[in-house]
Amino acid sequence: MAAKKAARKSLSLAPVLDLNEANALHGKLMALRGNPLAIDASAVERVGALCVQVLMAGAKSWEEDNQSFTFAKVSDAFTKTTQLIGVNIDHLMAKEI
Amino acid sequence: MDMNEIKEIFFQECEEQLAELESGLLRLNDGDRDPETVNAVFRAVHSIKGGAGAFGLDDLVSFAHVFETTLDCVRSNKLEPNQDVLKVMLKSADVLADLTNVARDGGSVDQARSAQLIRELEALAKGEAPPAAAPVAAAPKAAPVAAAPAPVVSDDGFVPVAFSFDDFGDDDVSADLPAYDVVFKPKSELYTKGNEATLLLRDLSRLGEMSIHCNMDSLPPLDQMDPEAAYFSWKVSIKTDKGEDAVRSVFEFAEWDCDLEVAALESGDVAEATGDDLPMQPVPFDLSALDDELDAPLGVVEEEEQIAAVQEAVAAAEAASNVVQMAASASRGAASDKGAAAAAAQNNAQQASAAAPTIRVDLDRVDRLINLVGELVINQAMLSQSVIENDSNGVSSINMGLEELQQLTREIQDSVMAIRAQPVKPVFQRMARTVREIADITGKSVRLVTEGENTEVDKTVIDKLAEPLTHMIRNAVDHGLEMPEKRIAAGKNAEGTVKLTAKHRSGRIVIELSDDGAGINREKVRQKAIDNDLIAADANLSDEEIDNLIFHAGFSTADKVSDLSGRGVGMDVVKRSIQALGGRINISSKPGHGSVFTMSLPLTLAVLDGMVVTVAGQTLVVPLTAIVETLQPDAAAIHSFGATQRLISIRNSFCPLVDVGRILNFRATQANPVEGVALLVESEGGGQRALMVDAIQGQRQVVIKSLEANYTHVPGIAAATILGDGRVALILDVDAVVSASRGQSLHTETSLAAAG
Repeated sequence: MAAKKAARKSLSLAPVLDLNEANALHGKLMALRGNPLAIDASAVERVGALCVQVLMAGAKSWEEDNQSFTFAKVSDAFTKTTQLIGVNIDHLMAKEI
Repeated sequence: MDMNEIKEIFFQECEEQLAELESGLLRLNDGDRDPETVNAVFRAVHSIKGGAGAFGLDDLVSFAHVFETTLDCVRSNKLEPNQDVLKVMLKSADVLADLTNVARDGGSVDQARSAQLIRELEALAKGEAPPAAAPVAAAPKAAPVAAAPAPVVSDDGFVPVAFSFDDFGDDDVSADLPAYDVVFKPKSELYTKGNEATLLLRDLSRLGEMSIHCNMDSLPPLDQMDPEAAYFSWKVSIKTDKGEDAVRSVFEFAEWDCDLEVAALESGDVAEATGDDLPMQPVPFDLSALDDELDAPLGVVEEEEQIAAVQEAVAAAEAASNVVQMAASASRGAASDKGAAAAAAQNNAQQASAAAPTIRVDLDRVDRLINLVGELVINQAMLSQSVIENDSNGVSSINMGLEELQQLTREIQDSVMAIRAQPVKPVFQRMARTVREIADITGKSVRLVTEGENTEVDKTVIDKLAEPLTHMIRNAVDHGLEMPEKRIAAGKNAEGTVKLTAKHRSGRIVIELSDDGAGINREKVRQKAIDNDLIAADANLSDEEIDNLIFHAGFSTADKVSDLSGRGVGMDVVKRSIQALGGRINISSKPGHGSVFTMSLPLTLAVLDGMVVTVAGQTLVVPLTAIVETLQPDAAAIHSFGATQRLISIRNSFCPLVDVGRILNFRATQANPVEGVALLVESEGGGQRALMVDAIQGQRQVVIKSLEANYTHVPGIAAATILGDGRVALILDVDAVVSASRGQSLHTETSLAAAG
């Protein structure tokens, strides 16, 4: 199983996802490319549109790779912000198993 | 960078914006209807308002806001910018400048005046705005009514029964509110300037109920994206009772960095709009979580707020500088499609001056540099002189090196001088305001025409020019121009013209102020001079001499003393300040056609190209700009005229010969012209004279050292300098010597006193 499918990776997001963080986040995601990914957004206090862009681009690319891209845990602020800016992440939420 | 520095930048940029605003308004006044001009004006006010908002300068913001609203009407073609409108606008620009100054330096403004202007501006915005703007304006008033018992006001003729307001959901109430469609498309600059789309959207959501759709179509795959570029755009539908302005004001600081469309929807369209084919996601009213994240850790809050404030300020400052660039590009645009050649030329000049990147430097530092370079030049001259003296074998490599050094120092000096050179434009613009205010007070209609605003001159000269110019402009409007009725009676245009021109002429700047008024009433001036014991009753004066009487202290011809001028402290002060700058002032007047004041000022007060000459064993420097040619007089060309005067015939015309050594009292007897050299000079009056000196030593650039500052004023001498051999040489005041040769005594006239 491990041979066919790469190990599931997880990525914890920084508390403040602003302009400065966008590049770093992009780099981290690029490095994780090709692996199923669970994102922990539970520590997020502030998130800007740039980082949401990066995350959404990631979701798109992961989908193209046929890998799973989920938000394992999200903070209230993260959810509210994505709602506010009209970005739907419901389909990316980790399903309770 | 702390707040004060940012604030200082803001004020500096305000000044640029104000200049931009004024020149834009004046262009409009001249009939320019280019939308870009209107935009440039609007942007100038807008960015002043934006910056002022960031610093909490409420007075400035509120005034700028009203101004902006009116300008917006012009921008959207709801208001025709005719003369009356522009008059109010120009006055508003003045008040805006005052408010800016007050915000910077403290003090107070004329509240009544700004309140009056606010009323006028509002009247313009409202009174002439067509109904298209009405729904927006009416919305805030209509909304509370709608939220109140709406069914009762419906005049269908019957009162609905058993209507419970409790059943009304929030949605129903807000359904009555005006809805707006907002398309918000940030550009990448928005983010790089520290703005944040999420915060803008959060502020927007606070205005009312909002549905949003985020367009991610342009989002590239992860590996092709630039993490700091903008890909998202939003379509928002919001119901709010606060009006379109409130919606727009959310995006105030970001307006130039995003594409924004705000459209009001008819209430019938609301359902349609929300049920658009785009899946709109309703935004929950409760965004407290987003606030909490800011508010929760108490210690962090203040810090964050400060950061936010600073970011905002930086963004504002950046926005302001952006606007300058935009304005520059605007004028570029204007230049390309504008027909008028003059306007195009001016725009091109503006483009040249605005497009190049600039830095702000403390004037002190520049002055220190200039001073040092001056010393360097002297030192270089001393060095080369001593090498020449000790060099026995002609051309040596040291000599070559020294020549290069000389060229280099010369270039350095020119470049340093260029740093101090500034266009006279700001001074001229201030004059426009003076003219408006005086025209207002005197009830005359005046038009100020300026030419050559980009003529550059030393900063010191510019700074000291403003005061005499203001005096003269006041005089020109108050005394020079006639009342409109009188002008019409004289067959002139009711609107008087005051023309201010600057140009370079033979190494000096010449500023001309002309009016098309009545000209100087010579009879009256003469009578007044006799009354005031300035001249003898039977004195025989030429027209020119009479005209020049107005430069005497304590002279005024106005019948009644007005607030503006007429106390007789004007023109003599003007003359003195111009002379203190090493300049001269002349007047020529034509009764019935107006007067022309001509000021000629040195371009710089620090260096001078001079011809080093010997007179009776003394070394003198004659400013090169004054010299037309030099010649060796022929005995046959010298003619005697009267008892002491001599003339020299040059190419069949006669020219008075002036013995410099005699006039400066260097020698008791007249020199023999044949043994000396004649310098043909042009004096300010226009006539030519031949100055006789003993020999010419050479040409040299000299650093002017003020004689007044170090010693005392010497008649006939403008200043001094230090020569290469370390000796002091005097710089000749050509005009003073020339006028002394006309039999007038050599008295305190001009000097280059202002130099260090």
